[in-house]
Amino acid sequence: MRLEDFMDIHDIKLNLESKTKTEVIKELANFMNQKGNIDDLEALTQDVLNREALGTTGIGLKIAMPHAKTAHIKVPSVVFGRSDDGIEFDSLDGEKAHLFFLICIPESGVNLHLKVLAMLSRSLIHESFRNELLEARNVDDIINILKRVE
Amino acid sequence: MKKIVAVTACPTGIAHTYMAAELLELTAKKMNVLIKVETQGAIGIENALTDNDIDFADIVLLACDIQIDEKRFIDKKIFRTTTTEVIAHPKVVIANVLQKI
Repeated sequence: MRLEDFMDIHDIKLNLESKTKTEVIKELANFMNQKGNIDDLEALTQDVLNREALGTTGIGLKIAMPHAKTAHIKVPSVVFGRSDDGIEFDSLDGEKAHLFFLICIPESGVNLHLKVLAMLSRSLIHESFRNELLEARNVDDIINILKRVE
Repeated sequence: MKKIVAVTACPTGIAHTYMAAELLELTAKKMNVLIKVETQGAIGIENALTDNDIDFADIVLLACDIQIDEKRFIDKKIFRTTTTEVIAHPKVVIANVLQKI
């Protein structure tokens, strides 16, 4: 399985509008909701915020990966968003985050999906991968970069 | 060459566990240190440390935000930290581990 098996161009938003951490989590959750896989958007958003309260997922390096294991999603889902101006996210390095992955998986996570998400987390540590995501000009470019995650 | 065995584990087991593991592997390589990192995430245990790995290691690095079973590491030197500390300061963490050997 590859990331592209459960992500397509409709899961990518290049111009996030939010200015704060809570706003961007809501914006990404709303965006994820377009596919109709969420049964209670507000509850899912709260699950993500609760995870965030345990410790920030703004890991620095311009990346934030808010995520949750939640009863309110039917299938493992990922959306990607980018903000050119950056958004304060309580990041470990004190800098703004520009690359956002919201990841929601059902309580009984499917192993194949989890393996791909683990690879995504590992990929983001690499500077070249991050730079490509930062510099990509459109959603097609982003999908082509993400296709390499498997 | 110094040998470290490590375990990473975070609350949800989706992101930090794997980011910390990847950073430890990358950073150790740059610092000329041998490391094997076991991940305990939502997938379960991967790249599991064997008894042999543990026996031959100079020290055990636990980057765990949750309680893990430490029975295997009895009689070994243990350095404890968190996944976020590894992600924020990987070089410092490894340098501190080496100092404790």
